[in-house]
Amino acid sequence: MENLKENQAAYYPGCALLTIDRAYNNSSKMVAKKMGIELVEIPDYNCCGIGEMKSKGCVSLYLPLRNMEIAKTKLGSKNLVMACSVCYHEFTRSIQRVREDKSMLDGVNAIFKDAGEEEYSPDGEARHILEFLYNEKGPGEVRKNTVKPLNGIKIAPYYGCLYSRPSMYTFMGKKPVMDDPEYPHFMHEFLESLGAEVIHYGNEVQCCGGRNVVQDEETSFKLCSQTLSKAKNAGADMLALICPKCAGALDVNQPKIVEKFGKDSELPVVYLTQLMALAFGFSSKEAEISDMISNPLKILKEKGF
Amino acid sequence: MLNERPVAEKGEHIIARHLIEDDRIKEEKNLVIDGVDVSGRWNTFIETRVDSEYDRSFFEEIKKTVVGSRINRCWQCGMCTASCTVTPLYRRFNPRAFIYMMQLGNLKELKKYVDVAWRCVGCYKCSQRCPKQVNPAEMMEALALVVKKYFPEELEKKALKIDEDVKKIYEEMILGRGRLDLAKLHTGSMRKMGRSKELLGKKIERDAIFKMIKDGRAFSVLRLGTPPKWHNSKKAIDKYLKNIGTLEESL
Repeated sequence: MENLKENQAAYYPGCALLTIDRAYNNSSKMVAKKMGIELVEIPDYNCCGIGEMKSKGCVSLYLPLRNMEIAKTKLGSKNLVMACSVCYHEFTRSIQRVREDKSMLDGVNAIFKDAGEEEYSPDGEARHILEFLYNEKGPGEVRKNTVKPLNGIKIAPYYGCLYSRPSMYTFMGKKPVMDDPEYPHFMHEFLESLGAEVIHYGNEVQCCGGRNVVQDEETSFKLCSQTLSKAKNAGADMLALICPKCAGALDVNQPKIVEKFGKDSELPVVYLTQLMALAFGFSSKEAEISDMISNPLKILKEKGF
Repeated sequence: MLNERPVAEKGEHIIARHLIEDDRIKEEKNLVIDGVDVSGRWNTFIETRVDSEYDRSFFEEIKKTVVGSRINRCWQCGMCTASCTVTPLYRRFNPRAFIYMMQLGNLKELKKYVDVAWRCVGCYKCSQRCPKQVNPAEMMEALALVVKKYFPEELEKKALKIDEDVKKIYEEMILGRGRLDLAKLHTGSMRKMGRSKELLGKKIERDAIFKMIKDGRAFSVLRLGTPPKWHNSKKAIDKYLKNIGTLEESL
């Protein structure tokens, strides 16, 4: 076991961030490092269940907790940072469920035992990268690191569902404060610190239908077109995200949404951490802006990035 | 003409109108009772319904599952339905009513909604606002378990079949190999839906795929692999699921 240093944190990348959404993964690490925290990936991670294993009893709790256990035994860290909101939800859910219900903890530990792994004791927390950077470093640190402010760019922050909801999962054990479940504002504050103009459009915490995006794209397209067109009509140049599943629905599927609902739904989508990387002085190539399907590079170039 | 005024559609101002059969709603366009004109929307009556085909011990079965463990707490306020993302898109999707039917074990009534019951998007607005922490979002997962056990024949119908097939793909990868391959999820689901042709035929699809091949992301999926010693976890998971002894085993 190698213990982490003081300026390091255990980090869970997840399946999407290691593949399709590498831009979110790399930019998260870049900006965290710039702000003074090195994110160290846990070895041998497994999938969190992505919300699709909930009908399988304690298995849905075991999947995330196995990673918490790895962070503890391999890196000596009780806490685990992650950037994906779905992973974050699965982790906070598991920790909360086994904390409040002994029979579920027993069920999970029976699986741990059979797998020849160490038993789990619920003492650590899962942290979302946005909430983590806000609480550990704060918007002041973001402003301090901003060398190329995003002046004149109008950005609509999009939090989606599982970053802030439900507070019965996300609130537990958080220090010093957790974001408001109905009116989250951490991303607003970060964007303001970057020098961007924050757009209020009313769909900040609406759902993109991402969970059923594969089997029910009709519903997802409808929800996404509402969010995209509302943000666009409120004057936004682009939409900032903090979840790869939202990106799947709002960015990757955007050409299909535009085809169905018209140009009103055409709006560049980008990860918050990519914008932070740009403002912190990284190039748009380093921030992998061109990975996004909805082409945010064009508007960013116009604005001088 | 004097007596004719705009009248609402039959029963349209009843909240959750779909829960009431059409022939139980009584409305007279022109009605005077004791000299008082109660025409139109003011004279809607719903005939009393007597439900006897239910089993109050049914919800104990749901209570034993991880997702349905709080079903007994629901006091039917309707905050879940009022908050729901899906309800405005599909009016018959009504979480409050579904939870009520599950509490009563009213399978006959529940069966009527099998076609929309799977549409929950898991946004957790209901769970955020529920005053009794019932966690309705996860109650919809419990509902899926009930459907699976009691109406297996319904799962053969088109939309539900796709939902089931996609869930199988997720399961194979997450439990079988410990990690999720998004490219395979996409191509596999398209194949199950009979839409493989779109992958390279449709311009929009083609563009996204070519882009990801060009920048190398399409291949990073191949490097994902399986966590070392995952077979031990897999064995333990299979053993747990085999002996679970609740609704969850019917999967």
